[in-house]
Amino acid sequence: MAVFRWRHSWGNLRDLEREFDRLLESIKMPFPGLRLERQYPPVNVYELDEEFLLVAELPGISPENLDLTVAGGILTLKGERRGPEGILDDRFRRHERLRGKWQRQLTLPERVDEERLSAEFVNGVLKIHLPKLPTVKPRHIPVVGGES
Amino acid sequence: MSEPEATPVPPAPVPPTGMTTQPVPAQSQSTAPVPERTVFMPPIDIYDSDEGLVLLADLPGVTIESLEIQVQDNRLTLFGRVNPALPTEARLLHQEFEWGDFLRSFILSDEVDHDRITAKLNHGVLEVVLPRATKTAPRRIQVNKE
Repeated sequence: MAVFRWRHSWGNLRDLEREFDRLLESIKMPFPGLRLERQYPPVNVYELDEEFLLVAELPGISPENLDLTVAGGILTLKGERRGPEGILDDRFRRHERLRGKWQRQLTLPERVDEERLSAEFVNGVLKIHLPKLPTVKPRHIPVVGGES
Repeated sequence: MSEPEATPVPPAPVPPTGMTTQPVPAQSQSTAPVPERTVFMPPIDIYDSDEGLVLLADLPGVTIESLEIQVQDNRLTLFGRVNPALPTEARLLHQEFEWGDFLRSFILSDEVDHDRITAKLNHGVLEVVLPRATKTAPRRIQVNKE
């Protein structure tokens, strides 16, 4: 997961960056990996007492179009944002919303119980609950001394 | 080329960069200090359909109850409040987006029938239909003798 922390005072700059990204996306770039750190969808991660909480903004995705899989500590989110049915591009007067297929892979934090992952999707916000595994208690190892 | 019927305008208190921090308008002007909230300009699409113009806006986290749509003096304003609904104990480990409310306004032309504007919210996307005003047929005015 690319860690990119923004301070609040950088908010305006970040928004400007977003605008630039939108611009760049409309231009065919010879190096598609140029802005690798900006991945879709944006994700926030929170730690709670019993679980980690992963939150992603995914407006316009219906639960049926969203594919979540987990394997070997990697969580994969996949989906597609479609434009309105049967509307040709030349009927658009303004086009700012992202469209198309997207995929994102995230490395799960350690000590997560993959079997008990759950997700809820409300009003375009996806919340994935990653329950923590119970902390392993230190186990005493009996030491057997040989007769000398 | 005809004039677009809905022209997005930067809302008055918001600088053109599209994002600012300002106190929440209306309602919450009670005695309690108003917390500063971030306001974003949501991305939109506008396209022509058979019934008129359709406006789509990405408003993740906005509910029907927290969304206000207003038409006043040819200006259509969307304001969506976002409640992240996170448990109080939640501690941020990694951040790629900020929580905030959504605000954007548009200038409507006379071609839009203001009384028949409809809106629906679906999975965080607002769809506003702006029907074309039916052109009134020319009416002959009878001139009478005094």
